Amino acid sequence: MKRRTFCTLATAGSASLALGARPARAATTVSLWHIFGYSTEPGLINITRFNQTRTDVQIDGKSVPFGQLSQQLVKAVATGDVPDLITIDNPTVASFAGQGVLEEVGAKVAASKGLARSRFFPGSWATTIFQGKQFAVPGEVNTLMFYVNQDMLRAGGVDPAKPPQTWAELTAVAAKVADSAKGKYGIGVSAIQTEEGTFQWLPFLQQSGAGLKTLTSPDAVAALQLWVDWVQKGYASHDILVKRQSEMTDAWLAGNSAMSLSGPWELPRILRDVKFNWTVIPMPVRADKNIHATALGGYVWAIPKGAKNVDAAFQVIEYMLAPEQAARSFAGGRLPAVQDVQPPADLPRAEVYAGFESQLQYARPRGPSPEWPRISEALQRAIQEAITGQQPAQQALATAAATIAPLLQRYPIEGM
Amino acid sequence: MSRDRFLDSPTIWVLLIGAAALFLLLLVGYPIAYNLVMSVQEVTLGNLPSFSRPWVGLQNYRQLLADPLFLLVAKNTLIFTVANVAVQFVLGLGLALYFQLSFPASSFLRGLVLVGWMLPPLVIGAVWKWLLGSDSGFVNYALQGLGLISGKIYWLADPLLSLVAVTIANIWFGVPFNMILLAAGLAGIPTDIYEAAALDGAGPVRRFIWITLPLLRPTIYALLSLTTVYTMRAFDLIYTMTHGGPLDSSNIFPVWSYRMSFELFDFGGGAAIATAMFALVLVVALAYVRSVNAERPM
Repeated sequence: MKRRTFCTLATAGSASLALGARPARAATTVSLWHIFGYSTEPGLINITRFNQTRTDVQIDGKSVPFGQLSQQLVKAVATGDVPDLITIDNPTVASFAGQGVLEEVGAKVAASKGLARSRFFPGSWATTIFQGKQFAVPGEVNTLMFYVNQDMLRAGGVDPAKPPQTWAELTAVAAKVADSAKGKYGIGVSAIQTEEGTFQWLPFLQQSGAGLKTLTSPDAVAALQLWVDWVQKGYASHDILVKRQSEMTDAWLAGNSAMSLSGPWELPRILRDVKFNWTVIPMPVRADKNIHATALGGYVWAIPKGAKNVDAAFQVIEYMLAPEQAARSFAGGRLPAVQDVQPPADLPRAEVYAGFESQLQYARPRGPSPEWPRISEALQRAIQEAITGQQPAQQALATAAATIAPLLQRYPIEGM
Repeated sequence: MSRDRFLDSPTIWVLLIGAAALFLLLLVGYPIAYNLVMSVQEVTLGNLPSFSRPWVGLQNYRQLLADPLFLLVAKNTLIFTVANVAVQFVLGLGLALYFQLSFPASSFLRGLVLVGWMLPPLVIGAVWKWLLGSDSGFVNYALQGLGLISGKIYWLADPLLSLVAVTIANIWFGVPFNMILLAAGLAGIPTDIYEAAALDGAGPVRRFIWITLPLLRPTIYALLSLTTVYTMRAFDLIYTMTHGGPLDSSNIFPVWSYRMSFELFDFGGGAAIATAMFALVLVVALAYVRSVNAERPM
């Protein structure tokens, strides 16, 4: 208990006090694999500050690209040489936890003053729970909105002040601004055969009123047919089948796509590179259903089983989620998973960050299920079959449903 | 004196062979055996660190064969490999013969061709993804400019074309390697044989068929084996360009193995694919070794 008091003091910034009160001893080194790639990233600033503040615990950080986190963790588990702490993609928690790779942190979180459940967005909290036990702590989150090139809208005769609010309006605007012969498109989404494709389409399924259990319903078919029509009518490029979200943002930045679905992680480079008037709008809803739903991405803090410094690693998690550190997230194009910090007012285009923040209330987790990779794969296949025209949307979804139903039976997912 | 005797003694042979064998056993044998063992076990993340996992016999292989993707991926791998080996060889030979002619800057240009081979496959994949983009890609732009096509070709997004697209990119990547090995082989053919043949009245075509090709044979065998092996394990380039999609139309065994292990966490299945691939590559490698041995008496 006494230890925790010190810890809280230290996180509050009273470095000197903590330093003076602590008996000198060899520092514990927490090996941390993280996704903070750029030297200006807030995550790296937090690590540096932690190391300057603390003498008893030091972080030894190693950067891993977001897409390679799972692979690196698998390799580490295979060789038995795991880091003390790792940031992992939120839908992979159940897979890793289900196979006994992650340390259970529920008791530690319950005892922690700083990590009260009420501070977190419920959706992101849900991603850390598997079969009633907690295996991670939400770190930073993100969600999807449409980035809108207002100049392109204006050129197409659409008033940028009245952005589309329903699927039908979205399609209508896309039809007005698209000129596929010239490589100009109305809509940019990613339908790639990876988790990114699932991430982008799933909110449309949820907005339609359908879910994973009702994939063969007319609502689910409508959600898929929406995308199919965009491509077949030339409102979206065929290349959405092989382009990642970042590549769709490239097309948007190049002025080739008027409305592109992406997350706040693109903000740092958009603010630097953009050459037209732009804004973000919430994902339009299906008029007759009016269900708001968007995606929930981001990473969680997890301690792999076999970590040598579990207690120290947990102190790092507490430090990173204290308001002062969490508030730095925004500048890195991420949103803190805790609700009690606001975007700093001096951020450029602060209203955009606030926009993303406001959408988190509709952000729904993928899973949690240890079978999520297979569920996701079946969805990706259905999306691609329908868009390439190999199967009608109805048929493609029926095939996916046949794969997904037994997986849901084994591991039911609440609310999906 | 005694040092010379030691170098001639049988002991040194044992030591030399032993060192090589130990090296192979540790660095080549162990991963292969590890993979083989994994392919007949049920491997999960939980039991990954230890060897004591449930034995499942050939179940991973049976599942693989029953997988609806199996035939598609096998077909893709076959087409990809045959097309790559054949086209890379023909283009490589053409370039090697071309650069054998002496014209200004020929050796400089030959060096320049090699640059493509020095680039990492990830970079090549990214560049070709831009080149083959259907909307703003250079290839479509050029074809439209030349009036060869009126609409767009969806090189990467069309399931019927994506395999062609990654094959073109991989051929571009592999040609310089073929060229340089064939150029080395050509340089090893004594020029007086050509002169003698020319005096006897053999034209360029006959000289090529009756002198160049037979004398290049060892090089050609080696090259074809090496290219086959390199092509069958191509991964980065396809992963960057299409991730095996759309709808697995450009998926080949190495990409499938990776996705099974690291995206679906089905390590047994991934290992089974890798083991099957190893067997295939081994056959090619053995053919290569045999051909090298057969050439030796000459």
